[in-house]
Amino acid sequence: MIKCVVWDIDNTLLDGVFLESAADSPRPDAELVAAARELSGRGILQALASRNPPAAADYVREVTGLDFAATECGWGSKVAAIERIAAELAIGTDALAFVDDDMLERAEVAAALPDVLVLTPEDAAEAADWPQFSPEVITAEARQRGQMYAARRRRQAEAMTFGGSRAEFLRHAGTRITIGPATVADVPRLHELSVRTHQLNSAGEPLSEAELTGLVSSAGHLVVVVTLADNYGDDGLVGAAIMERNGAGPWFVPVVMMSCRALGRGALDALLAWLCRCAADAGGNQLHVPCLVTERNVPMRLALAAAGLRAEPAAVAPDGRAVFTRSLTGQLPVLPAFVTDRQ
Amino acid sequence: MTAAGQPTSVMDQLRQMLVQVTGREELADIPADTALFSAGVGLDSLAGTLLLRRVQRRYGVDVAAEDLNLDSLESLGTLAAFIAART
Repeated sequence: MIKCVVWDIDNTLLDGVFLESAADSPRPDAELVAAARELSGRGILQALASRNPPAAADYVREVTGLDFAATECGWGSKVAAIERIAAELAIGTDALAFVDDDMLERAEVAAALPDVLVLTPEDAAEAADWPQFSPEVITAEARQRGQMYAARRRRQAEAMTFGGSRAEFLRHAGTRITIGPATVADVPRLHELSVRTHQLNSAGEPLSEAELTGLVSSAGHLVVVVTLADNYGDDGLVGAAIMERNGAGPWFVPVVMMSCRALGRGALDALLAWLCRCAADAGGNQLHVPCLVTERNVPMRLALAAAGLRAEPAAVAPDGRAVFTRSLTGQLPVLPAFVTDRQ
Repeated sequence: MTAAGQPTSVMDQLRQMLVQVTGREELADIPADTALFSAGVGLDSLAGTLLLRRVQRRYGVDVAAEDLNLDSLESLGTLAAFIAART
């Protein structure tokens, strides 16, 4: 499934070549802008990679009205620009599409980044009909994804000049996290998270809506959801965990998942602290979180380690799954003051 | 370079990387034994991942692949020792 379309500007999103003096610059290509807008509405991000000065991105934003999650304008290679976009958005190159009218640019990207879906402008105009661009469910979070990434750019720009610690920045940004039990209304978004999250997913396997509905209504399970907002924007429901109730024994957490938008914003640490406290309050003696150990979910392992969970290296299963555990007696991870119960 | 000089230079490079991934100049001279995940540095999982990527590019040591629990990220000193043992 494609998560982000990276557009060239000249003779692609613009019907002509960008010129420094905006007065002479060409009009947007109506067909491609409509396609980009349709894909945005499905929760697919838009980005720019162009051999142009940065002013070109501002011009395209202005004349198309599109929100771009990342823009790379400069004179370097498109391959490097696409790699930077993938890194900035924390999206694998296999979830990127690249649209360029120039055959040589397309060939270079296709050779260097074989996972990227490389399209001509003609292909892109019809992309909305392709299965790679057609998510099964389109949630409220998906429709607003472009705006959220625009908010993220403003947040990151301020964070880099803020100076203080990350915790101080989160308070300065007015971070608001709520955590609490899921309802059946959350199921479509939970399913979407289970499909879309890789870097911050402990289970590594999607859950169907039917499975999730069963878990939400199960007395033996607690499905916990996390919402995240701050002064820059409201990211909605960004994460969840499933926990099995187990009285005074070890409480088992088969799934922890979090949108990569929440990375660096305290939400995963808060969720793990909340799970520890919830299980401890109910009498549980340990927390057990099985986690598939992959190259991509290092941030998940870092968060588990920071929350005091450890796995036995000798006990990593052949499929790469390790069980991270911690005691629930003694000092538990602290829940920051900006975390409240979900209403 | 002397055997004693090596860890110092890795330490300084790690401090620079920490400043780059956090954007915080004041971390440029933190003691080697300062806990990275404690309140002082407050490294989060994003900055931690970026730091490990830089370490891999610079020294060719894939900490995430070799250290299941990532205990080597306890402090810059433990990270430098982990790298020194593998380079």
